[in-house]
Amino acid sequence: MMHSYQRLSRSGRALVGLGLGLCAIGLFSWIMQLTNGLEVTHMQNAFSWGLYIAAFAFFVGVAAGGMIISSSIYVFNVEKLKPFSRIASLSAFGCILAAGVMVLLDLGSIQNIFFLFLTPNLMSPLLWDVCVVTAYLIITFLSVYMQMLPEWQKDGFFLAAWTKKRPAEEVQAFSKKWSRRVALVGLPFAVLIHTVTALIFATQVSHHWWNTAVLPPDFVAMAVASGSALVLIICMFTVGKRGFAEHADAFNIMAKVVAGALVVHFFFTLIELLLNAWNGSTQGQELVHILFNEYAALYLAELIFPAIAMIMFFMRRFSYNRPALLIGSILVIVGAFAHRMMLLYPAFNEPALSLNVAGASIKPWVVPLSTGRPDLAGAFFSTSFAYVPSLLEWGVTMLPFGIALTVIAGTITFFKLISEK
Amino acid sequence: MRNGMVIDLEKCIGCQTCAVVCKIHNSLPPGTWWNRVFTQGSVEHQAAVGDNGNFKMEFLPISCQMCDNPACEKVCPTGATHTGGGGELLIDYEKCIGCRYCFAACPYGVRQFNWSDPKTAKIETMGYVSGYPLDCREGKAAHLVYTQNRHKGVAEKCSFCAQYTSEGELPACVRACPGKARFYGDLDDPTSEVSKLIATRQVYRLKEEFGTEPKVYYLSSGS
Ligand code: SF4
Ligand code: SF4
Repeated sequence: MMHSYQRLSRSGRALVGLGLGLCAIGLFSWIMQLTNGLEVTHMQNAFSWGLYIAAFAFFVGVAAGGMIISSSIYVFNVEKLKPFSRIASLSAFGCILAAGVMVLLDLGSIQNIFFLFLTPNLMSPLLWDVCVVTAYLIITFLSVYMQMLPEWQKDGFFLAAWTKKRPAEEVQAFSKKWSRRVALVGLPFAVLIHTVTALIFATQVSHHWWNTAVLPPDFVAMAVASGSALVLIICMFTVGKRGFAEHADAFNIMAKVVAGALVVHFFFTLIELLLNAWNGSTQGQELVHILFNEYAALYLAELIFPAIAMIMFFMRRFSYNRPALLIGSILVIVGAFAHRMMLLYPAFNEPALSLNVAGASIKPWVVPLSTGRPDLAGAFFSTSFAYVPSLLEWGVTMLPFGIALTVIAGTITFFKLISEK
Repeated sequence: MRNGMVIDLEKCIGCQTCAVVCKIHNSLPPGTWWNRVFTQGSVEHQAAVGDNGNFKMEFLPISCQMCDNPACEKVCPTGATHTGGGGELLIDYEKCIGCRYCFAACPYGVRQFNWSDPKTAKIETMGYVSGYPLDCREGKAAHLVYTQNRHKGVAEKCSFCAQYTSEGELPACVRACPGKARFYGDLDDPTSEVSKLIATRQVYRLKEEFGTEPKVYYLSSGS
């Protein structure tokens, strides 16, 4: 173990540096956005949510997955995974922090944010989401805190200052008791945050692509897959090449969790596609057309990358192989990001308002919407719009990525995250 | 009181006067349209549609449908989007956080976002800022639901000309329509012009299947 920690502190520090660099890029881009308005993005009236909201949903997913793993370890007593429950909680905390920051960066008028608390609209799924994400932030923090307490007491870390005069055994017992309690609360909350985030979309009757009961359970399936894949990457990084053999069984279990969740996800995807294709309505046809033509590359990435990983993770040959696990996990995470982008494209390219006009040759007639961005769309009115995020939009998105990386890499570099069995 | 609008498509000549007048009266920045008029079934405005020598040209003006069950108000997290005393859907510019959830929710695509600072944009393109009578340039309510210069980063849309209707006047589009195709009034009052038109003519509302219950009624052309 000693070896891997020495190795880690060098590459770990490098990752923290990278994280801080990303934060700086993000902060700079955000200041540009604050001064100029959201015109620095490539969104417009008819394509009003873009990269930011996709990234938000992505982070929420990964965060949910992390806590589901960590809590399951306690709730179902998975011995082999026990050394990694701290990392799983940490991953959840870092990602939910990123999600919270991401959604704030998307706001056009952040200066009015306090009206969320002064005059909240209890009907709004967005308000529910703010509540559960905040609660989840607290729970994941407590989960990390309770589990780290004995370590932090040893290190004399300021967050554990109150334990200074207490005997180590007492703190151990306290940590154990409360870690378990937090894990029990954490599990339902992890499922809840992703369900509520899915409800933001699923409640919208005017968007055929979102308005389905399959969306929330599918979100949860994808969350377990991508969240566990991230935990797997972080764990393998933390134990290093040398520690791999010792924990190979644990990694195999995580890989199986990823693969199992992907089976469920593909099952939902298939039903969704089948219903749309079979249904034969203009809306359904339009949707299938959008999926396999305009955005075929992105959609295929969403399908194929995780599919490859799923097959690999089910095979013993790969699920005990470090590079294979690493590549597979990255494929799942990239696939999950594509999945979140594809939440938007079919929804916003499906005509917002189409009417049946008797005697007209175009059926149904798509009513043009004002773009609000003649500079971008090339017109005041348009019926569809190919959204590609602007460079500055990517820049702003680096802030939450930077925050997650800094928090996660920083904690595993400066503290001992792998607990003894 | 539940104010609504009736648009007689038989009388609409597709001239877009209402759209332009709305733009000037409400000081809309470039690229923003609270009201739009298109030719039904056609990609180009003022181009006839049909086949086998059976051509026709009918128009459809669309602005906020002032829904009784408004998707936008339900999703707005801060209550910035709210229903005023006359049933009109208003946006409080000082409460809007610019989350654009209402854009995703509204089935009619009428919401408009201030992607950049509207005042700068107006001055850059037109050289001046139009709109709003002098005494109500900054709005009268505690929170702004109309003002000549919105902030950047907030949503806006048709307000049934809150600055006029609150004073008992008609919306600018109703007054300006050369075909006299637009009517405005109280839907709860059976003696109002709008109620009578709805009772006696064949009317429809847009996308009723979404359950939004619009307060804008269209009198079918050719009925
Ligand atoms: S038309 Fe759209 S913006 Fe207007 S009230 Fe209905 S949902 Fe709201
Ligand atoms: S953009 Fe403004 S009006 Fe629309 S939902 Fe968000 S806070 Fe409400």
